[in-house]
Amino acid sequence: MQKKVFLGIDVGSVTTKCALMSEDIELIAHRYIPTSGKPIIQIQKLMREISSEIPSDCEIGGAGTTGSARYLAGEIIGADVIKNEITAHAVAATHFYPDVRTILEIGGQDSKIIIIRDAVVTDFGMNTVCAAGTGSFLDHQALRLGISINEFASEAMKSKNPVRIAGRCTVFAESDMIHKQQMGHSTPDILYGLCQALVRNYINNVGLGKSIEKPIIFQGGVAFNQAIVRAFEEELATEIMVPEHHEVMGAIGAAIIAMENYNATGKKTHFNGFSISDISYETSTFTCNGCPNQCEIAQLKLGEKVLARWGGRCEKWEYISNISESPEGAVVTG
Amino acid sequence: MRITFPHIGNAYIAIKAMLDPLGVDYVVPPKCNKRTLSLATKYSPEGVCIPFKLNLGNMIEAVELGADHIMNVTGHGTCRMGYYFKVQEQILRDMGYDVTMMLTGLSEHKLKGFLNLLRSVSNNAPWSKIISSFAFGIAKMTALDDMEILANNMRAFEIHKGTITPLYRKSLQAIDDASDYHSLKAVVREYGEEMSGVEVIPDYKPLKILVVGEIYVVLDPFANMDVEMELGKLGVVTNRSLYLSRWVKKGLFFNPLGIDQWRDVHKAAMPYLKRDIGGDGWETVGEKVISTGHYDGMVHLAPFTCMPEGTAQCIMPSTKEDLPVLAIYCDEQTSKAGMITRLEAFTDMIAMKKAGCLSQ
Repeated sequence: MQKKVFLGIDVGSVTTKCALMSEDIELIAHRYIPTSGKPIIQIQKLMREISSEIPSDCEIGGAGTTGSARYLAGEIIGADVIKNEITAHAVAATHFYPDVRTILEIGGQDSKIIIIRDAVVTDFGMNTVCAAGTGSFLDHQALRLGISINEFASEAMKSKNPVRIAGRCTVFAESDMIHKQQMGHSTPDILYGLCQALVRNYINNVGLGKSIEKPIIFQGGVAFNQAIVRAFEEELATEIMVPEHHEVMGAIGAAIIAMENYNATGKKTHFNGFSISDISYETSTFTCNGCPNQCEIAQLKLGEKVLARWGGRCEKWEYISNISESPEGAVVTG
Repeated sequence: MRITFPHIGNAYIAIKAMLDPLGVDYVVPPKCNKRTLSLATKYSPEGVCIPFKLNLGNMIEAVELGADHIMNVTGHGTCRMGYYFKVQEQILRDMGYDVTMMLTGLSEHKLKGFLNLLRSVSNNAPWSKIISSFAFGIAKMTALDDMEILANNMRAFEIHKGTITPLYRKSLQAIDDASDYHSLKAVVREYGEEMSGVEVIPDYKPLKILVVGEIYVVLDPFANMDVEMELGKLGVVTNRSLYLSRWVKKGLFFNPLGIDQWRDVHKAAMPYLKRDIGGDGWETVGEKVISTGHYDGMVHLAPFTCMPEGTAQCIMPSTKEDLPVLAIYCDEQTSKAGMITRLEAFTDMIAMKKAGCLSQ
């Protein structure tokens, strides 16, 4: 009998991640590429790359998706489980660190905190009305200063006297940074000041009212940035652990959940196979004129067959079995 | 004189039932939609809460349909919502619309004030007619709430996803169409049986979540992005502390008689909050205390910038009663995708807590 391996895909706003796990929950292979605003093409690219990594005596036993494009990704690869990012991150973290009590996670567009007690999520928080302090903002600032995001960390680590930056809001943070730069402060001091501001903002916003206790692990793409790690350690006055594969923890979590699902149900996977890399999917949107709300419905098609529709307030388009193939009376816009 | 009134959930069906027999010339604003929201945000002060904005949007859209008199209730509670009409009136005037507000202060004039308001919009119809149409409206309101309670209870159990919601929507239309008590009763019975009779998942034990918070966002599915329907799709049974018929009966009948329907809830809140802080903040805290043990979790809905609910939210983590609470702020900036992620994570979390481990 062939051994099973499990696939997890995490399609975030900025990066697309993929992890391949063995039955013994060992990471066989992983990938981390930018989403570049083209989730379908990037998922197909990942699948092409990861297919060559599957050991010859193994087959896919199950697949899971997570991230903000989890439904789209799930539809394309034929996922057995589709899970939100919080659960996926928590599952992966408790696998590698069974006694973890706090997970800090900062991604491209959002940041989360997950509180875990006795290996169970007891509380969580996500940034609500503000994206200050996420990966995209750091990228943007690095670009503005003409340095790469890798240099960002090493530059910031050189800081001797970090300046105080207003980190409440990215707009204010940026204008404050420019102000400090025009006053003649050194780039490392400004960069590390920014790191401290982002950490402060995270603790006061996402972490508000949460009891942040040791052991603390830091996941997500921003954990690459050593300066942010140091700023967290200084702010919380404790050690922060960064998992080796912190950037693909969501994908690892999705793969583990797919495995747990397989072990619990024993059902054959719905996985569509790696041939999906060569299929051309069509996405389009139309406006439903069924009521004054005029919902914008997005649909995913393979040839003439509608695979999925999203975006309506009511169930009119959502359940494919309920509906006729063409959206009657609707204006197709693309 | 053409009357209109702003929306709150399905209340328009009950208000129609009150106005129809009185021969009032009225127009119901289009149900809240994206255009309402765009108009609302364009003409409202930015930091004001979503109930103000959507109500203003309703008024603008109704005025476009020829309305010149706006019926509304006010109050002198601790929440600023009771005073909103004055600002809305000014904004409408600044926009060049000559509107007249027809108001009654619920806090001071109570039931009598509301009946007087009905009388003034109906060009002094006889009292017997006013009272009978008011009573029929209240009956419809109760029927609407019964249907909603049933739908939110059954949605989690349906085998064929997307069965209950269309039935529920049809029942609203049927209640709206019912012209007398007899047909109203028949509608409630017919749809009640149909919804209770859908094919259900055998032996299914759903999570139970209580939805609490500020009345407008709790009652209005557009403002709260259909939170109860989304929870139902995740297989969760929802209930809430606030239903329009109960709230109206409180404001019009029980409060004037000195009966505190929420006495237990207020008593439960006492160790943490000793007084009314406006809106529904006091009740929110009390509901958390009183529901611990009866529900698996609580979803707390609050308009962004709402002072009472914000205060309640800060108090809740410190209660010794340990009910998981998910706070959702409703605003024109809130994205539905973000809310669904949170709801999924929240239901996963309480399911895991119940099971005692991470795997489900």
